[in-house]
Order: sequence, then structure tokens, then C-alpha cells
Amino acid sequence: MKPSSLDIDRLRDVVRQLPNDALMPSREAALAHFDEHGLPTLRDEDWKYTDLSPLVDISNRWLRAGGQQQAPGDRRDAVERVLGSIDATWFVIADGTIEPWTARALESGAIEVSRLSDAPAPFVTGRPLADLNAALRHDGLRIRITGHPEKPVGILLADRAGTNAGVAQSCVEIEVAPGASAELIEYHVSEGDEDHYANSVLTMGIGDDADVKHVRIQNRSIRHVQTGRTSLALGRNATLRMASYDLGGGLIRNDIDIDLSQPGANVAFDGLYLAGDGQHIDNHTRVDHRVGPSTSSQEYRGILNGKCRCVWNGKAIVHKGADGTDAKQANHNLLLSEKAEIDAKPELEIYAEDVKCSHGTTVGQLDETALFYLRSRGLDKNHAIRVLTHAFAADLVRRAPVSAVMEAIAEIVETRLAELTESDLIADILS
Amino acid sequence: MLEIKDLKTRIGDAEILRGLSLSVKKGEVHAIMGPNGSGKSTLAQVIAGHEDYEVTGGTVRYNGQDLLELAPEERAREGIFLGFQYPVEIPGVNNAYLLKAAVNAKRKHQGLDEVDAFEFLKLARERMAMLGMDPKFLNRGVNEGFSGGEKKRNEILQMAMLEPRLAILDETDSGLDIDALKAVAAGVNALRSPERAIILVTHYQRLLDYIEPDYVHVLSQGKIVRSGDKTLALELEERGYDWLREAATG
Amino acid sequence: MATESENIEHLVNRRYEHGFVTDIATDSLPPGLDEGVVRAISARKNEPQFMLEWRLQAYRQWLEMREPEWAHVHYPKIKYNEISYFSAPKSDEDRPKSLDEVDPKLLETYDKLGIPLHERARLAGVAVDAVFDSVSVATTFKKKLSEAGVIFCSFSEAVQEHPDLVRQYLGTVVPRRDNFFAALNAAVFSDGSFVYIPKGVRCPMELSTYFRINAANTGQFERTLIVADEGSHVSYLEGCTAPMRDENQLHAAVVELVALKDAEIKYSTVQNWYPGDENGVGGIYNFVTKRGDCRGANSKISWTQVETGSAITWKYPSCLLRGDNSVGEFYSVAVANNMQQADTGTKMIHIGRNTSSTIVSKGISAGRAENAYRGLVRVMPQAHGARNHTQCDSLLIGKQCGAHTFPYMEIKNPTARVEHEATTSKISADQLFYCRQRGISEEDAVNMIVNGFCKEVFKELPMEFAVEAQALLNVSLEGAVG
Repeated sequence: MKPSSLDIDRLRDVVRQLPNDALMPSREAALAHFDEHGLPTLRDEDWKYTDLSPLVDISNRWLRAGGQQQAPGDRRDAVERVLGSIDATWFVIADGTIEPWTARALESGAIEVSRLSDAPAPFVTGRPLADLNAALRHDGLRIRITGHPEKPVGILLADRAGTNAGVAQSCVEIEVAPGASAELIEYHVSEGDEDHYANSVLTMGIGDDADVKHVRIQNRSIRHVQTGRTSLALGRNATLRMASYDLGGGLIRNDIDIDLSQPGANVAFDGLYLAGDGQHIDNHTRVDHRVGPSTSSQEYRGILNGKCRCVWNGKAIVHKGADGTDAKQANHNLLLSEKAEIDAKPELEIYAEDVKCSHGTTVGQLDETALFYLRSRGLDKNHAIRVLTHAFAADLVRRAPVSAVMEAIAEIVETRLAELTESDLIADILS
Repeated sequence: MLEIKDLKTRIGDAEILRGLSLSVKKGEVHAIMGPNGSGKSTLAQVIAGHEDYEVTGGTVRYNGQDLLELAPEERAREGIFLGFQYPVEIPGVNNAYLLKAAVNAKRKHQGLDEVDAFEFLKLARERMAMLGMDPKFLNRGVNEGFSGGEKKRNEILQMAMLEPRLAILDETDSGLDIDALKAVAAGVNALRSPERAIILVTHYQRLLDYIEPDYVHVLSQGKIVRSGDKTLALELEERGYDWLREAATG
Repeated sequence: MATESENIEHLVNRRYEHGFVTDIATDSLPPGLDEGVVRAISARKNEPQFMLEWRLQAYRQWLEMREPEWAHVHYPKIKYNEISYFSAPKSDEDRPKSLDEVDPKLLETYDKLGIPLHERARLAGVAVDAVFDSVSVATTFKKKLSEAGVIFCSFSEAVQEHPDLVRQYLGTVVPRRDNFFAALNAAVFSDGSFVYIPKGVRCPMELSTYFRINAANTGQFERTLIVADEGSHVSYLEGCTAPMRDENQLHAAVVELVALKDAEIKYSTVQNWYPGDENGVGGIYNFVTKRGDCRGANSKISWTQVETGSAITWKYPSCLLRGDNSVGEFYSVAVANNMQQADTGTKMIHIGRNTSSTIVSKGISAGRAENAYRGLVRVMPQAHGARNHTQCDSLLIGKQCGAHTFPYMEIKNPTARVEHEATTSKISADQLFYCRQRGISEEDAVNMIVNGFCKEVFKELPMEFAVEAQALLNVSLEGAVG
């Protein structure tokens, strides 16, 4: 990696002025590590399709303007909207700051909350963006779930770009105790018309026999850059159902790492990404099967229209000794315009023998027979296209494992799809 | 032909057969019945020589030989045939190819000349006609895309081609509708002979309406607890397995 | 009676049957690579000026390039200055004009290799251009081919006899700068095959070539160029064997195929390079760049290969689908056993309209081998109506090997239809027991199942190769499954 073109000196100054001194040692260590390695470039295999220059640009503008964080305080429209429409126990991190008023009325016993600054952990070297997060974050949220909370736990990450350019970090650590169960909603939303870069890190440890259902929704504005790393580790016989929805944003890069080092773990994780003009959505996922038996299954679907680019890379690594692994990956893409581009790469690395692994990837268009069928029933071409495109996405919406949020997702998908398919940029595929 | 004395077997930590004894002479048809988990399939697999099962006690003699000493393919070449409960698929391997290889392996063992493609096809067509099977079966991959009924009929075809001395049919009737069942039964009946012994492993009495057994044995908790003639099967049908289980533990 | 799992790592006892060295004095250059070596090679072959210039430029470009490091293989650094770049048998001076003139010791070599040149050539009607340590020795049936107007000769000869054709097409499919090994090859290539099929001609017989590396530390740098003019048709077979050595040997070949309008080229390879012993010592390093240019409309290029040898394989036969309606195909069986490592696959680049490509890759891993499929399907923005279907299956035998798939799909046109499927499995205990219960021995059962697994690819091979391929497969997996 080349040294990053982030303004390291300004970065250092900003870091040194951050609140919560307890975190300063780990910040310094993270900064040093980041300085040494720099940001990934197009020459790195895992970044070959995603150019991070917008991120560098926004960050430098912010650093040179003093690196100020938005003032916390008033609840904002985006926050209100989400909190009002979805019934959950909400925690809000706005512009990198944990809103103090959130989740005051906690369900007794089942959920324990603390902050990273209460008990700072020593810095563990990570990837560059995780290092950047550790260097720049104000604080982090720790949530421990020990029982079976009735309502889902919601984490709302809201950023407002009110000034020229803003940058915010968020860090959440979740522990689901053995035998516990949890429904989690991770919701990323932005406000404002200015450029913004949000960098999030979420780690979750799922204890033996625990069960987690996790929905991740990203609905940022077109001027926003977001990178995020979600790391999950499952215990013995633990189960995870996860679904990610990329419904907005400008330049989005999601990394999901799932580590299965105990037998009996079972993971199903799916994703839906909708991309229109000017968007770049990159999903990189990785599942490590270290011990068998264990199962993982993954299906990501993408709909692209307009001048946009999506990247999907799913790695499944079955380590030696992980006999009894069953790993499935699937990726299906609908390309609706000539300026859209998809780069898909499922990867299987198998070092064990007694395994069942498969993956399937398709890139294609709407089924012409189905289109004709609808038109023969009176729907005009655009309507028919919308219906079929909707059906392609609907399957993934139905799979949202947290029922409280399904309606909200369906609504956003509906709106976004309508925008995508009504645009003039649909290629005349039928001609 | 087959003499089993006090057979005990184990798989992993579980003991399945706990002292089973059975005697089968050529020309006879024996039915082994029993509730699920009693060890019926285990018995079939052990006679065929499946390596997952450990024999912890007892003896099995086949035509005077110690059967347990032989590898599965050696047992096959000596004339033992197992009709599998769940015949496995082997994609890309032609059904005819497998059959011919099996027929020739046996002939070689017996010191006979191997059959060439022509002879084999002739024989295969004859047998298939007798069993009422479509010759197209031969060209398909082994059990690839076969329905349940087709798989079982394929097993019977193989039996017809290999002409075993001892045939063990493991739940040949499971998953079959009445027409398929009749076809399979007709095939088995056509293969009955004074030189051949047949063991039918079955859960339900229904198959025995079509293939009349000479002896019926009931297996419960790893042992044969009752033997009789075909009327025993009818009694079981009426009274269920619990009746015998009580009798066994009493 | 041993259980299956105990037998699985049963030692491979087959000795590499072609492991021996022919005792013929060779006229080699000392090890090392510099401009002088390049000039010496060109001088020994009496090459015209254009060829020398071409080589020198390539060499200078090579000096600026870096060896690729991203493949899923690990090997000790190659010391380029310790390899000799030219080796020829003494009987090079007067090239034999017929088989009768060939050094009998050489013919004996071919006999041992199982290539009874004259018999095979006569019966099957195959013309053989046997390459022995960088210089072509025998080219038979030239007359029959020349009657049809087909040019099939060694590359060296083509440079002399058909320089215009060579100049027109050389380096147009794999440019010198393409990659590190292609540049090296362009600088020091010794010989290979040249084929030209004139317009409308269907080549009357299958063309074939045998290779052999003899002297220690001699890299094998073959260069092949096949041009199928409009409406023509050719099937080319490449089969290789090599003797047992202790030092690793570098093989960096380049194959360029050009198919003009309505032409079709079928290129089949059965590769049996020495793979190294059970501990990974010795063995050939096979770094090859093979590419086909479907230059004309309705053209078609098919790559079919069965690879069972080499210690390390880095090879991606590819197709550039430029002509409208052009078709690219890739059928491959790759076996890696013991300590072999393979990072292979294909690239299909869709450029013209209504192009289609088919990829069927079957990988078999055993022992402690690592077998990776790396494929690229790229649909350019102007490639309207592109179609691709990829089927990528891996079979694992034993607990210590690895099977990996890295397929890249870069799609920039919305009318493309791309489908990729991959599965990984093992030979199941159930399948083995089923066959054994039918009287078939375990070894035969494994062979049967593996052949069934590879069936789709074998049926694309020309007849005589298909038989050799199946036998080769059985031999390379001997003892891998218990």
C-alpha cells in the first residue's frame, strides 16, 4: 500500500484534541499504525474496483477546516422519522457522538450499556479504515444482551453534513451472552446536502447457543461516502440471520467478516443493493469456517440502473479440519442500463475434504417471457418492468429477519425502485 | 448358505445388533421386519461389509466361509447382492458402464471370460424386457435424476444382471406407489430360484402381499425376538410392534 | 481391514514412467541471461534482422518488469541467471529430411515415451513436429499438408521461409509487454510450431507436437503461432512429457492463435510434465501464456486441456471475442496431487456483438496439493448480447489438499447474460461402497467416479487424446484414495 494521501499532520492535531482522554493511548497507537500502512489503493486485490479518492478528499477538507464534529443536541428530522416509524429500543449515535438521552428506559436485566471510555481496551491493529476509526473516534458504545429482550435493539447512526465537509466515526461493540437472543437493527442515515464521510466499525460476539437476527439498513444521501466493517464471531451452536440493505449513498464500501470457530454454528446472510446514477456500492464479505459442522448461506441481489457501479466479492474459506462444512453463496444482478457496471467475484478457498460448497452468480436482464406476459395482460412496458424488478427485490425484503423493520424497508425499497425504473436511462432492452 | 450366530455390532458409540442369530438356506425367502431403529438396515449393511460398522462379537458364515474376513467387493464377487435403501447417485458414470464392470469383475473372479459390449447389451436388453424396463435406463448416469421408483427398479435390474446367490433387499418398497411396488415385486419374484436365497428387509407388511416369504423374523432392539411364517406378518400388521417389544422385554 | 480414511494417503508408488535422460551431447549456452545471450540465440538460428530486433526490444522490456506475485502458489525465487537459455542436440547441423535420417538414439527416446512416430503418424494420419530440446527434429507429412496449402513447420523454419506471415501476426495476440513471462519468452524463445491454414481449407489431419526438456537447467521457451485464415478449420494437439530431474525447470511458453472470419481453431493439450516427487522436489514450473484472438466474425476458438503434471502451473488460455458472433470455449481437467500447486483458469473477453463463451473447469485435488481456478469473464460496454456460462467443479480427495475458485465477472453491458456455478465435493463413502458392493475394486471405483466427474471435458478431446487422457488421469491419482 502506498502511504495514504490523508494529511497526517492535521490528522494528528485533530486526534490530540479529541475528548475522552481514557481513549488517547489506543488512539495514538492506531494513528501510528495507520500512518505506517496508509489507505488501500486500486493495486490491492480487495480494492481494485473501488477508488477511495472521494474519501481522501472529504477527509482532508474536513481536517484542514479544523476537524470539528457537529454539535450534538437537538434531535433532527431523519432521527425523528426513524425513531417514530420503527418500534425498538433505540440508541442514537449522531455525528460520531453517542446521544446521552437515548435508551434511558432499558428493559431491566436484558440489556446492559456502557461506553468504551468506561473501560478502554488496548489497541488491536486492524485494517487501515478500522485504524482510522480507532484514531478518530470520540467514544464507542458497548451493549451486552443477556436475556431475550422483547423489542429489537436499534442502533441509529445519523450524520448531518451541515458545513463544507464532515467526517464522523462510530464504533459499536455488542456481546450476546450464551443462550441469549437478540434482534438488532443497524440503521445508517444522513441529512444535509454537503459532502460527508462516515466510517463505522461494529463487532459482535455471539455466545454459545445464542440466536441473533440482524438487519442493516444504509440509506445515505448521494453526497455521502461510507465505509463500514462488521465483524461477527459465533459460538457453539449459535445462529445468525442477517440481511443488509444498501438503498442510498454515494460511495459505499461494506466489509463483513464472519468467523465460525465453534462447531454447530449456522449463518444465513443476505443483501440487497440498489444503485442509480452516480452511485458506487461495494460489498465485500468473508466467512471463515474453522471447525465443522457449520453452515453458511449467502444471497446478495443487486439492481443497477443509470451510470453506476457495484462490486460484490464473497469469500468463503473452509479451513483444514472444518469437515462437515456446508457453504453456499449466490449473487444475482439485474443490469438495466448501458452505463451500469457490475464486478462480481465469489471466492471459495477449501482446505478440508468433507465439505459441501457451492456458489452461483448471474448477471442478466428481466425475463422477456415474463415481461411479455405482463404486457399481454394490459400493463404498459414501464409498468411491467417495474413489477418484475420489484419482484426481484421483494424476495430479499421478505427475508428481513427482524419483523419490526420490514415495513420500513419495504417502503424505502418501493420508493427507490420507482425512482430507478422511472428514469429515462433504462436501455431499450426489448428492441 | 448364510449362518449368523450371536452377531453384535457397533457404530461409533452405539450398539445396534446385540446378539442376532439367523440361518438362511438356498431357495428360501426370508423377511426381516421391525420398528425403526431396530437394526434392520444395519444387518443388511453389515452382511454387505460396510466399513463404518464394527463387529464386536459373533460370527457370520457364508457357504462355509468366514464372511467377515472379506472386503465388500470380494463378498459381491462371491455372490452377495445388496439392494440399497437409498441408492446413491454417481453423476457422469453411465449405468451400463457400471453394470458391465460389475458383471465382468464377477466373471473374472469365477475364472470366466469377460463379456464384450455386444454380449452385455444383449443380456441387458433381455433382462430389461423381463422386468418391463425401458432400455433408455442404460444410458443414463447411475441413478442420476431417477425417481424413487426408478432407483429401486434399477437395483432390481442390477440384481438380474449379477445373478447373486444371496440377495438382501433393504426396504425395497419404501417410497414406492402401488404400481411401482408391483413392478419391483414382479421382478424379484422372477428372480426366485432354488439356488438363490433372498432376504427382504421391510418395515411394512405390504410388500409381503406380493413377494411371499417362507419365513418372517421380527427384529427388535438388535435381536430377533420372534420367527414364524407369513402369518406372523399379518399378525404384526394388526397388533403393531409394541406387542412384540413387550413380549421381548418381559 | 483398513478403513477408507486410513488408506486415503496411501503412498503413490508409481514412478514417473518417463523419468530418464537421453545421453546425447548437447550444444548449450552457459547459464545466464544478458543481451549477448539473446544475440547468440538469434545468431545460432540465422534469424533475419527483424527477428533479432524484436527479441532485443522484448529483453529490454523484460528488464523493467516484475514477476507477478498474486497467484495462489508459493515457490522459491527463480534465479534467472542460473538457467541456460539454449540447448540443442549435436545433430542440429544437418537437419534430417526424413525420419530415416534422425539419430537412432533420439528415435529410441521417442519409443520410450510411447510415441512410435512412424507407426502412429501413418496409422492416424497425424503429422508430428517433434521438438527435442529447443530444436525441431522431425516434421513428417509435410507433403500432404503442402498439397492442401497448409503450412505446418517449426517456428524457426517459418521465420526463414515465411517471414512475412510471421511478421504480420507475431505478437499481435500476446504482445511482448503483456506479462513478465511473455516478455521473457519473446526474448529467448527457441522454437515451437507455426501453422497457417489458407482460406477455406479444412486441414486434412490433426496437427500435433511433442516437447521434451533434456539438459539440466535449461528453460523451455516455446513459441507457437497458429493462423486460420477466413473460413478455415484446424485441430491442433499439444502433448508433453519430460524426464526426471532434481532441479526445477522453468517452462515459459507462449501460444498465439488467430482466427479470421468464419474460421475455427481447436487447440487440445494433454500435459504430463514431471510434477516433482512426493515431497515436492524437482518438477517443472509451467508458466504459460496462451491466447486466442477471434478476430473475424463468426470465428471460434476452443481450448481443451487435461493437465496432470508440473510442480507449479500458472496458465490461463484465453479468448478475445472481437468478431461479432464469435465463440470461445474452455474445457479443462486439472489434477494436482502430492505437493503440486496450480493456479489456472481462463479469460473470456467479450468485445464484439452477440459473442458467447462456455467454460467447464474440473479440478481434482489430492495429496497435499493446492488447485485454484482463476477465471475472468469481462463483458465490455460495446459487447451487445454477450452470453457466458461457466461451470466450475472441484473434487477433493483426502484431508490435506485445497481447492479454490476465484472467478471474476466484470460486466459493463446490460444485455449480457452471465451465469456462473461452482460446486465442491469429495468422492463420497457411499459412492465407493455402492461400487464395491457391485464387485468393483476400490481403485477401479475411484477411477470410474473421477472419469465420470471429468466426462464433460473428455468428450471434447480428439479421439486419440481422450484415451491417453483417461489413462493419464488414472495414473496420476494412483494411491490418492484408499
